[in-house]
Amino acid sequence: MQNLKNFYNNKNKVKIYLLSVLSILIMVFNPLNSNADNLVKGNSLIIEMISKAQTHAIKTIKLQPEERSSKIQNLIKQYINLDFMAKATTGSFWKKASDVHKEKYKDALLKQIVNTIEEHLNTLANLTYKHRNSELRGKKLVYVRGMIEDPKKNQPPVNLLWKLAANSKGKFMVLDLEIEGISLISSNKAETMSILRKNRGNFEVLLKKLNKNN
Amino acid sequence: MKKRYFLLFVIMSTLLTSCSNKIVYEEKKTDPFERFNRNVFAFNQYLDKNIVKPISTSYADTVPINARKSIRNHLSWMNLPTTIVNSTLQMELENTILASTKFMLNGLTLGFYDLDEGETKVQQKDFGSTLASINIPEGPFLMVPFFGPKFTRDLTGVLIDRQNVSNASPDIIDEINLVEIPINIIDKREKLSKSIDNIYESPDPYIKMKSYYIQNRRNKVYGDKYLNTKNDELDAEFEKLLQ
Repeated sequence: MQNLKNFYNNKNKVKIYLLSVLSILIMVFNPLNSNADNLVKGNSLIIEMISKAQTHAIKTIKLQPEERSSKIQNLIKQYINLDFMAKATTGSFWKKASDVHKEKYKDALLKQIVNTIEEHLNTLANLTYKHRNSELRGKKLVYVRGMIEDPKKNQPPVNLLWKLAANSKGKFMVLDLEIEGISLISSNKAETMSILRKNRGNFEVLLKKLNKNN
Repeated sequence: MKKRYFLLFVIMSTLLTSCSNKIVYEEKKTDPFERFNRNVFAFNQYLDKNIVKPISTSYADTVPINARKSIRNHLSWMNLPTTIVNSTLQMELENTILASTKFMLNGLTLGFYDLDEGETKVQQKDFGSTLASINIPEGPFLMVPFFGPKFTRDLTGVLIDRQNVSNASPDIIDEINLVEIPINIIDKREKLSKSIDNIYESPDPYIKMKSYYIQNRRNKVYGDKYLNTKNDELDAEFEKLLQ
């Protein structure tokens, strides 16, 4: 009877041992899996975005300006986190801005990006994109590095770095783009902050200046 | 006498290079002469819009792309001796060897045709980057008439690099410089046409130009060290905003 009891206890011990090993393995490898998953998500988002942008560039070149702009705007909204960009480029002034100003500023930012893309539609349609590597940064960020090349080799290749993070719905979106080490957020922030500082945080002046050029 | 001082300076620089590891730049207070700089920027912008841009546009319209590519190759070939000297001063021997090989190889076509078709990646080096490698700070930001944006340290570098080239072969090089400098300006304007127009259309073109210059220059001078520091700072800021 005693032997049977011991056997039962040992069997339980083995079970507990196996379960604890299994749970440790899950704990160790699960974050790695989710990290690898984030890298894959980041990569595929950039590749999908570029291929869509190229298809759009070819299709929208012939469209009327208004129709073209609205199509590009829809594409940007799918892939670029405008809320984040607006916050990041206005620094401490963002919290003080009214809701109306916040929305207007986001619209102006969107128009600015649309204008830049429209200027480069021809180039965009012809370039080739090569993925270089991806990297996890901190808890939330993913870096995707790539390179755009001119197939005719008339222009030197340009290095790109996309910074991505998941939004509140878990969808990965672009936060910043570095072209040859020049961050768009940093340069936009320098400009926006300079205008806001000079005008004591007056968003009306900033919006006027932004819309004048849009 | 002048050459002796220069030689002494070069030796001192080389000796000091070995103890350089830091990035010496100040994130704030880089622009104490902002009001003056803005006036010079307006002057440069006026010159650019009325003289340089029209010439570079007609250059792009009339000269075929292959000819422009050859001219660009030649201009970058002409710049290789500066890279060779400064890579040596910075003890970057691999870059020195690559630049020397490229200079000799493309010398067969006077640099008009890139015989290795861009396979050799030579990092451009100037005296400004040599000064940076011995931890000389970049100094205040300046908008220089005709030259555009420059840190004080890099402006000194440009002047010394030019002096070195004309010391090497005074007669011919001076004559070449008279032709080369305007062509270089026109070529660069044509190459950066969209970016410059984009800067002019921004709400504060001066700040945008300054920001592009500072990021680009630090990236060229300090490379990965600068990019890593900058990205670490930006990551912390982004993570905070994402919370």
